[in-house]
Amino acid sequence: MNTMEIHLQVNGESKRWSIAPGDLLLDVLRREGYFGVKRGCERGECGACTVLLDGKAVNACLMFAAQADGREILTIEGLAQGDRLDPLQEAFLDHGAVQCGFCAPGMLLNARALLMSNPDPTEDEVRDALSGNMCRCTGYVKPVEAVLAAARAYRRRSKAARTGGAR
Amino acid sequence: MFDHVEAFHRPRSIPEAVRLLRLKGRGARVVAGGTDVIVQADREIRALVDITGLGLDYIRKNGDGWAIGATATMSSVANSAAMRAFAAGIIAAAAATCGSVQLRNMATVGGNLANASPAADLAIPLLALDATAVAAGERGRRGMPLADFFTGPGKTSLDGRLLVEVLIPLPPRGRTGWSFQKLGRTEVDISLVSLAAGLQLDAKGRVKFARIAMGAVGPMPLRARAAEQTLAGHALDENLIGAAAAAAAREAQPISDLRASAEYRRDMCGALTARALRECARQAGCSL
Repeated sequence: MNTMEIHLQVNGESKRWSIAPGDLLLDVLRREGYFGVKRGCERGECGACTVLLDGKAVNACLMFAAQADGREILTIEGLAQGDRLDPLQEAFLDHGAVQCGFCAPGMLLNARALLMSNPDPTEDEVRDALSGNMCRCTGYVKPVEAVLAAARAYRRRSKAARTGGAR
Repeated sequence: MFDHVEAFHRPRSIPEAVRLLRLKGRGARVVAGGTDVIVQADREIRALVDITGLGLDYIRKNGDGWAIGATATMSSVANSAAMRAFAAGIIAAAAATCGSVQLRNMATVGGNLANASPAADLAIPLLALDATAVAAGERGRRGMPLADFFTGPGKTSLDGRLLVEVLIPLPPRGRTGWSFQKLGRTEVDISLVSLAAGLQLDAKGRVKFARIAMGAVGPMPLRARAAEQTLAGHALDENLIGAAAAAAAREAQPISDLRASAEYRRDMCGALTARALRECARQAGCSL
C-alpha cells in the first residue's frame, strides 16, 4: 500500500500524518482520536461528521484526507477554550438543545461557521444553515433558539472586546 | 472504499493535469470538491487528480459576459455579488439550492457539470443563458455549447479532457426577465424538477427572445425548444404562457423513481414553466 504524508493544523496543533492516498478525512480524524467527528450517513446528507476547514463547514466523509494537506481543521474537541465552553456550547446546554447528542458536534461547528460569517442571522438563516445537520430528537426548535442566543452572546463579547470592557 | 487508489496527484498546471489524466487513463478520476467522486465509490479508481491547485476558482468578467472557473465552489457562486445581480441572479439562486451549506462549501461548478446528473442544479440556468463549456486537452482548449456537453445520464462529451471553465455570454438587454424554479421534497434534497426561463420583450410586448431549460425530467438537462418556439414572436399573455407550459410538459422525458412519478414530474414541468414565465414577465414590466 502506498502512503503519503500530509501536514495540517488540527485545533491549533500542527500535525504530520501518514495516510493512504484514498483515505477519507473522516476515517483519518477518527483514527487519530477525534471521535467528536461522528460517522453517520457517509454520503454528505446527515452532517454528523461536519468539521471546519479553514473556517468553512464541510462534511469530513466527503473529503479525501489528502485534500486537507496544508489546511486548518477545527473539530468539536477544539471549540472550547480549555475548561471554558464556547458561547454556542453554553447556549446549547442552557436551551436543552442536546438530546441524544449525536448531531451536536456537527451542528455546533456548522453554527460556529455561520456566526463567524454572519454575526446577526435571522431565524430563517439559522434554519437554512442547520438544514445540513440531521437531528431526529429535538425537532430543531431548541437548537435554533440556542444558535440565536449564542449569536447575541458572541456580539456582546465582541462589543466588550472592542470597548476594552470586562467579559 | 478507496483501498485500490495508488496515488493522489496535485498537478500545478493545466497541461500537467491533462497529461496525468491521459497517462492514468480510465483509472484516473478528477477531484475538485470530491463530493460526487466519494459518493459514487468507484472501485476502479487507481489515481486521484486534484485540480484545486490550478487557480480555476475564479468568477470574473469575460468580455461582456462572465467566466466561472471549474473549481469555483457552489458557495462562492451563491454568495458572489456579481452572480446575484447577473440575469436576475438565477445562477446564484441555483447554486444556493444545491445541497446543504457543508456541501456547497465543497462542491464545485465543474463537478456539478462534469458529473452530468440529469438533476444538476447549476446546469439549468447555464443552459438557459447559452453557456459554453471550455475543456482542455493535449491539443489545447476547446469550447462547446453546454447543450452539446451533456450526452446522457452521467455522460459528457469531455472524452478524457479536463473541464476548465464555463463562459456565459451577455444576455439580451432591455425589457428582460429571468427566473429559476426548483421543486424539491426538502431543503437539501435533489431536485424533482428544476427549471430556468428567460425572456426579452419588444416595445409592443411581443416575445423577441425566449429560453427555457429544465432539469430532472430527462436523461440530461434539456432545453425546451418547442416551448421556446411557441413563445417567439407572439404577444405575451396568460394564453401564451399556458401554451408554452403545455409544450414544455410535452417535451419533458421524465422517468419515475423513488422521488417522484413521471406523471407528476411532467405536470410540475408545466407548472414551473408557467411560474417562471410569469416571473420573467413581471421583471420585464409586462402586466399580462
